Amino acid sequence: MSDIPKDLKYTEEHEWVRMEGSVGVCGITDYAQEMLTDIVYVELPEVDIEIGQGEQVAVVESVKAVSDVYAPLSGTIVEINEELEDSPEMVNDDPYGEGWIFKIEVENDDELEELMDAEEYAAFIESMEEDE
Amino acid sequence: MQKTVLHEEHIKLGAKMVEFSGWEMPVLYTSIIEEHNATRNRAGVFDICHMGEFIVRGEKAASLLSSLIPTDINRLEPSKAMYSCLVNETGGTVDDLFIYMRGADDYYLVVNASRRETDFAWITDHAPSSGVEIVDVSDETAKIDLQGPKSREIMETLFPDAGMDRLKRFYSLTAELDGVALMISQTGYTGELGYELYAPGSFAASLWNRLFDAGRPLGLVPVGLGARDTLRLEAGYSLYGHELSETISPVEAGLGWLVSSTDDYVGKDILTAQKKKGPPREIVCLKMIDKGIPRDGYPVARDGAEIGIITSGGFSPTFEVGIALALVTRKAVSVGDRVDVMMRGKPKAAEVVPRPVYAYNG
Repeated sequence: MSDIPKDLKYTEEHEWVRMEGSVGVCGITDYAQEMLTDIVYVELPEVDIEIGQGEQVAVVESVKAVSDVYAPLSGTIVEINEELEDSPEMVNDDPYGEGWIFKIEVENDDELEELMDAEEYAAFIESMEEDE
Repeated sequence: MQKTVLHEEHIKLGAKMVEFSGWEMPVLYTSIIEEHNATRNRAGVFDICHMGEFIVRGEKAASLLSSLIPTDINRLEPSKAMYSCLVNETGGTVDDLFIYMRGADDYYLVVNASRRETDFAWITDHAPSSGVEIVDVSDETAKIDLQGPKSREIMETLFPDAGMDRLKRFYSLTAELDGVALMISQTGYTGELGYELYAPGSFAASLWNRLFDAGRPLGLVPVGLGARDTLRLEAGYSLYGHELSETISPVEAGLGWLVSSTDDYVGKDILTAQKKKGPPREIVCLKMIDKGIPRDGYPVARDGAEIGIITSGGFSPTFEVGIALALVTRKAVSVGDRVDVMMRGKPKAAEVVPRPVYAYNG
């Protein structure tokens, strides 16, 4: 069973966001990193760029695959996790903590309502696995 | 999807299964990097039952094979095996394969899973009406690879009287386990010391488990297709459909050394001309300078001009850097030159390095 912290919001593309005031800390979920396995490279966004909800913002590469990461919310990138340049495996080891990927200054709180909470995301993953 | 006779064993081990050439195969059991490193440092065991095996025997067997491969068939002797390829009329590759000589007029071919039907048709279409028998024994044959520095020790434990210490690279022997006869060769696709074991399908699960009984104390782990690919890429081995194809000749793939036969064979004129004058393209080996992982299909450029394409790319667990094989215009680059790998539109620097990045360690 993958870890799904209760205080986060989730997207169908397996990103999570934790609000710290008006800044959303974002990354990919435990489910996503389990699927990817060994992550060997993370292509981070540029700081200060503006991004729309659902737009591709970063890339996570595992040994076998390239995986796009999408912005859970619209806003401006205010910080990126440069530690991931030398230690991309932190996304596997601590996807909700040290493995955060970028922070986004959010303009529109309403977009948060559109995201799934922990229960909804758990159900979402379950329904995906049943379809396989 | 087809399942190999070892399918249940993979499920028991918690493998992540994927589709490969119509077969449901384990891509990994724990992690590609872990399995790769285990094979380089200790030993790994691989389910390779999906590959094809043909018997080609009879008084015309040697001449049939000689008419289809560019390699001198006389390089073989009983108990010896060699790498070669089947070539088409335009000098392209039908498949790369291993040919074992089991005895006089008795050959055993091991071919890629994806090319099994095509190869069988190719060989039978070119065969004379008598004097040779071609039998596809793939369905009854299990193939298990055991690779890594500890592999000989594991084989000596399981087969103490078979003379494993005297079995040289590219040679094979027959050994018995629990009353079942197996063909075992000192061959492999990882760049490590290792063995390929051929057994009746009905014995596969027993053999797999006996290998673990003998090997677990030495650190033997099961290894999936993910690590099989990272291992062979480091070792610089070609993969059909990538470095070799119906439109890529063995000479372009860097296998000009296979072109040695003085007999007539399909594609001879083209291959000998390519060897003499140089082929139009060539496979080069790249190691990333900038961060980023080169992937199959990414363009390769030099001084702003596109010179070719990545045929196989990925992460090298041993060197912790992106590596690739690329098909480029001949003489576009030399070892030591810098090129750009276009990754999602952005150029990332790489260096042309000698192939392979990991020298054979057997």
